[in-house]
Amino acid sequence: MALSDPHSGDVSFIEHGAECPDCLRYVGEVRQMDADLVASLDAKMPADLMARLQLNQELSDDAIGIPSIRRYAIAASVAVALFVGGFFLSNQFSLNTEINTDYEKLLAGVVQHMNEQPMTPVWENAQANRTVNALLASYGSELKLKQMDNLQFGRICPMGQYRGLHASLDTDEGQITFAYIKGEPLGDLLDVSYEGYITRVKPVRGGNLLIISRTQKSLEQADRELEEAMYWDI
Amino acid sequence: MSENSNNSDDQQVTYHMVDKKRKYALLIEAHAQDLYKYALWLCKDKNMAEDVMQEAFLRAWKSLDSLREAKAAKGWLFTIFRREHARQFERKQFQYQDVESMDTIADTKMGYDDSPEAFALRNALQKLHPDYREPLEMQVLGGFSCSEIATILEISNSAVMTRLFRARKKMRHILVHESAPELGLVRGSSS
Repeated sequence: MALSDPHSGDVSFIEHGAECPDCLRYVGEVRQMDADLVASLDAKMPADLMARLQLNQELSDDAIGIPSIRRYAIAASVAVALFVGGFFLSNQFSLNTEINTDYEKLLAGVVQHMNEQPMTPVWENAQANRTVNALLASYGSELKLKQMDNLQFGRICPMGQYRGLHASLDTDEGQITFAYIKGEPLGDLLDVSYEGYITRVKPVRGGNLLIISRTQKSLEQADRELEEAMYWDI
Repeated sequence: MSENSNNSDDQQVTYHMVDKKRKYALLIEAHAQDLYKYALWLCKDKNMAEDVMQEAFLRAWKSLDSLREAKAAKGWLFTIFRREHARQFERKQFQYQDVESMDTIADTKMGYDDSPEAFALRNALQKLHPDYREPLEMQVLGGFSCSEIATILEISNSAVMTRLFRARKKMRHILVHESAPELGLVRGSSS
């Protein structure tokens, strides 16, 4: 019983423990091992996950009406909805802690996350776009996402000391990564070479957009497309 | 079961009358944290854990009307999660880390205690056969009773007791003889 259920409330188990010091000590050891194990597996849930769980439910009612939606398309849509909706509903959910005004910290977080997660899933584009539009329309705002033929995926990720949207676009010169980190927009747009990447930190409504690319051309292309599709409203 | 899911009898009686949105909010509030720990351990990846959790809660929302009692909520939710995890695992195996590749650095990135003692305990748990590890995870992480585990795993109560017995016995053996005896995590004999 000590090994099966050390916290058992079984009367005979408890009574025996009271009369047998060896067994009582043994049960104590097992309980301590359990407690140590629980402590070793303790992890704090990200603060924004709660908000996303709630948001998913709000969006799902509309998504149910589209029979062929695939799960990952829903996830993409939620991420992009957060991405766009964040600008307009900045207090609806807290995606991250307030950002520091240090450009390098922002870049370091995003680039570190990119390097840690080199494999990026590619999603079925047309369906993802349709779903995103349907969800945005049901979001109760005038938001409408323009078709992005090269949107590949998006999700909320930890990026250094921040959390934000991590997404990618396919460009003529390869995949570029962009990240939206909610917080105080930095004062100026900054183009800088960072750890072998061409990067742009761009203040947008409600936060900062970071574009990470291998070439200046693909960075410009991505920035242009995002501005057209996402209504960055600089 | 956690205290949050053990509502009073009165609350149990009226639970089915609670507004769906309120019921869902209660579900998140009461069980999301426990489920996150369980998810993180199963997925070994923060992003994957969050993805599977979100999907599980979405499914829970869609079938919330079938949940009649608050006391059954946690087991019901964990069952949904386990099924979703199995589905995602089939689809995204490439995103999972090998047990062999687990290290203290990866553990730290997941937010776990990075002490040698904590690592040794996680390592010992991971070394258990899945048949034994699973009920132990449910008992220590989910706080489920033996009968609840039996229901979730669809095995007999005695089978759960046997598996838990073997799981802890093996854990103690690993901690005493294999993993890190110098840490003194378990003082007694493994037998």
